[in-house]
Amino acid sequence: MIEFYGVSKEYHGRRVLKNLSFQVAQGEFVFLTGPSGAGKTTVLKLLYRAETPGAGQILVNGRNVVSMPPSRIPELRRTMGIVFQDYKLLPTRTVFENVSFVLKFLGVPLAERRRRAYQVLRLVELHHRVNAFPEELSGGEQQRVALARALVNEPELLVADEPTGNLDHRLAQEMMRLFSQINVRGTTVLVATHDVALIRETGRRCLTLDRGGVLEGLVEAALPPQAAWRREGSSAHPVVPEERP
Amino acid sequence: MRSGAAVASLLDEALAGLWRARRMTAVSVLQIGFSLFLVGLFLLAAENLGGVVDALREETAVTVFLRPGADEAAQADLERRALDSKLVAAVRRVSPEEARRRFARSFASLAGATGTLSSNPFPSSVELDLLPGAASSAALRPFLANLAAFPAVEEVQFDVDWVRRLRGVVRLVAATGAATGFCLALGAAFTIANVVRLTILLHRDEIDILRLVGAPEILIRGPFLLGGVLQGLLGGLLALGLLGLAFRGVLMFITATENVLLGVFVVRFLSPATCGLLVLGGVLAGLVGGTIASRRHHV
Repeated sequence: MIEFYGVSKEYHGRRVLKNLSFQVAQGEFVFLTGPSGAGKTTVLKLLYRAETPGAGQILVNGRNVVSMPPSRIPELRRTMGIVFQDYKLLPTRTVFENVSFVLKFLGVPLAERRRRAYQVLRLVELHHRVNAFPEELSGGEQQRVALARALVNEPELLVADEPTGNLDHRLAQEMMRLFSQINVRGTTVLVATHDVALIRETGRRCLTLDRGGVLEGLVEAALPPQAAWRREGSSAHPVVPEERP
Repeated sequence: MRSGAAVASLLDEALAGLWRARRMTAVSVLQIGFSLFLVGLFLLAAENLGGVVDALREETAVTVFLRPGADEAAQADLERRALDSKLVAAVRRVSPEEARRRFARSFASLAGATGTLSSNPFPSSVELDLLPGAASSAALRPFLANLAAFPAVEEVQFDVDWVRRLRGVVRLVAATGAATGFCLALGAAFTIANVVRLTILLHRDEIDILRLVGAPEILIRGPFLLGGVLQGLLGGLLALGLLGLAFRGVLMFITATENVLLGVFVVRFLSPATCGLLVLGGVLAGLVGGTIASRRHHV
């Protein structure tokens, strides 16, 4: 489903990714972790062609993302669902509108939009808040709306960037349960997170970005003992402030 | 993707966008409406003046004044030549007595004065009704010169030059209207571009998200382009409405004042084709403004 071959990326002369190679099979649930600045968000942006690599090749579902002409990028992105850390909800639109406006732009009739929006909102247990505005929702609810929006177009691949970054531990676990449910339905899931405890609890495959490269394996095995940001018994590293109660 | 539903969504989003920036939209529509209203006024004036010129040119008869003592044979020869010219539809003799009666009818206050004269000062004349299109014919001028050369002819009266000058004025009015309209439409397009750009700024987040979720470019830019077109359309319709009101106002003024001169000049509203062109002008201005604003680096 996802293949990275020798991918490198620099920002203003600073190398973020160096000869990065990894694969994610169709239907897998994979975590991408590492300290702040390791390049987790960059990897995701490269996937949906918000960025282009300095070197290397990236394949998504067999399609070469790097050499893809700009006119084909929308088509690529329509096969993915993207969940952003800052939710990116539209404050002037209701939950239903936030979830369904992409479908509206794709010409899906209102009845079909309602059906699909209700379906995904039911999955994230927000079907009773369809007419609420984002500011009326808690952080966890907003994140679930963002997840519903990512799922409404029935993507083959779900990409989430720090989806639990602003949630307490209980809500973060709830989000992971949802991701697992979605994965069980056949959607490939790639979650970028720095939450080591959560990765450990979920017990899924983990790719750890370190010094521009990737270490493979479950989080316990993959994390190098000397990793400065790793703390045994803690759910997150000290670089990112802990926000849990 | 269903194209009908997509177009409906575009329209829905375009209307919603205009409503969110309604103050700027109102300014834009007013500006384009006023611009097209001015253009419409020029067109209205040109169309009516043109109509008047056509009417005058077609209705005017050539009057051939005869010398005193012109005999019957000379008059008959003149009439025959006129009818043979293929420019004249009919000839009509006007005797001095008939000429005096006409003068008395037209200038009632002076009718008494002509009665006091010892002799009739009005000459005999022959009126020639021109065939349709004859007034514009190149053959008319030599024909009139030939008539004037007749020994029995005192003077030939057909003031075709002032009609031509009036035609020139009409062309000038129309050209001025077109030039002014073009400049004003450019200004309106610029205003529309700014309104659309403002709408784009208001929707920056939506555009980013739409792009990230893979909405096609046409669907991202479409509502903004359509917004510009809608503003132009509304401006065009507003201009037509204002022109209709102004036209009715002038008609009411003419009726109230019984002003014969204005009655001659304001005779009809713009033709449906011209009305359509005016609205189309607004739509085009909106399309240009919308296109400028929704170029790739703006959206």
